[in-house]
Amino acid sequence: MANQEPRVIDNQRVLGVVPGKPAAGDRKELQEQDTVMVWPHLLVRHAVAALFVLLVVMLIALFFDAPLREIANPTNTPNPEKAPWYFAALQELLAHFHPLIAGVLVPGAIIGGLVALPYIDRNPSLLPQARRIARVTFTVFMVAWILLTLVGFAFRGPNWSWVWPWEEWHGEL
Amino acid sequence: MKYLDRIKRSAAYRSIFRLPDVATDRDRAASHWSSFLLHLYPVKVRRRELRFGYSAFLGVASLVLFASLVVSGIYLMFFYVPSPSTAYGNIQTIQTNIAFGQYIRNTHRWAAHLMVLAVAAHMAKVFYRGAYKPPKEFNWVVGVVLLVLTLLLSFTGYLLPWDQLAYWAVTVGTSMASYVPLAGETTKDILLGGPTVGSSTLVRFYVLHVAVLPVATVAVLTIHMWRWRKDAMLTVDEPEIAEPAEDELVLATAEGDE
Repeated sequence: MANQEPRVIDNQRVLGVVPGKPAAGDRKELQEQDTVMVWPHLLVRHAVAALFVLLVVMLIALFFDAPLREIANPTNTPNPEKAPWYFAALQELLAHFHPLIAGVLVPGAIIGGLVALPYIDRNPSLLPQARRIARVTFTVFMVAWILLTLVGFAFRGPNWSWVWPWEEWHGEL
Repeated sequence: MKYLDRIKRSAAYRSIFRLPDVATDRDRAASHWSSFLLHLYPVKVRRRELRFGYSAFLGVASLVLFASLVVSGIYLMFFYVPSPSTAYGNIQTIQTNIAFGQYIRNTHRWAAHLMVLAVAAHMAKVFYRGAYKPPKEFNWVVGVVLLVLTLLLSFTGYLLPWDQLAYWAVTVGTSMASYVPLAGETTKDILLGGPTVGSSTLVRFYVLHVAVLPVATVAVLTIHMWRWRKDAMLTVDEPEIAEPAEDELVLATAEGDE
């Protein structure tokens, strides 16, 4: 940079050329032709996406009522006792492992692993073929989690026994 | 269109939106920065970020769902008292005697479930795009915090109807807290305010649900979006432009030298 001729812009005077990196760090600015103005290009798309999401929520809310069971009764434990669906995977693990593992270590490891992910995966490439290990690892965990959630949500009945959801339905939203 | 132009040229419109006579990108950028709502966005983004396949607009979806939850939640707050003697009856009243009550409650319930899904899908999409890589590592961490806040918001809200579903789901959920080594019983006591789910639990979950967690979420969300805007114009890598992989280029040069 310091050895190059300064680029002179029409109607602007060069006051001086300062060698070194920009204050923001060693960052490569984008080429102008790769970019578009956010207004209208991105904002119009965001507006359409937002309206679509609201439409979906509206339709679901019009046709499906939120569940309301009988009033809470601390003396009458339902069987099965189900956690909300996003904790169904943990509840399923709880049926197989010691609570310390299923209730504390696994969720702790998941959150800790997610937080640490960008600091563990130091591979700078964004190319899918260069990120095979990261992609496979993430996919395996994600699929396992989805399966556990499905099992805990829909495939478990009284006393946490196995049921087929098309025969007995015990999922709660 | 003539009327629209006249409105746009009026003194009132120009005082609100402070638009210069739009002529160049520089003018557009200047009016963008001077707008309160638009300043949440960068002025420019990469062209490929416009495509559906880039983000599937899952971040926007999460944000819109959160906004709809705030609106519907405030409406429900007018008719709800967090006490075991009133809560369940309030929900019944909302469903039967309040204008749009059933619809607003449905919206709140389904949007909450959809938000958990949207946030999880947004994270997966960001992972597969590699968008957690430098310089965006910390914004990924902020995103994980938002995931936890989303789950906590959903879980604390789950108790409020005070029906069998709510009561026992929260009993199961909080029983896990007691297995935390050393601080387990203390954690459970702080959450429940007693040995079992009861009136103190309901008040605690309510305060967390309508005050603490939403405020925390808005604060962290602001940081998340601010960093997204700041990083929008930084090049991470340009993988989608078809070009020979880097090591192939190096090989070719080496052969040329020999």
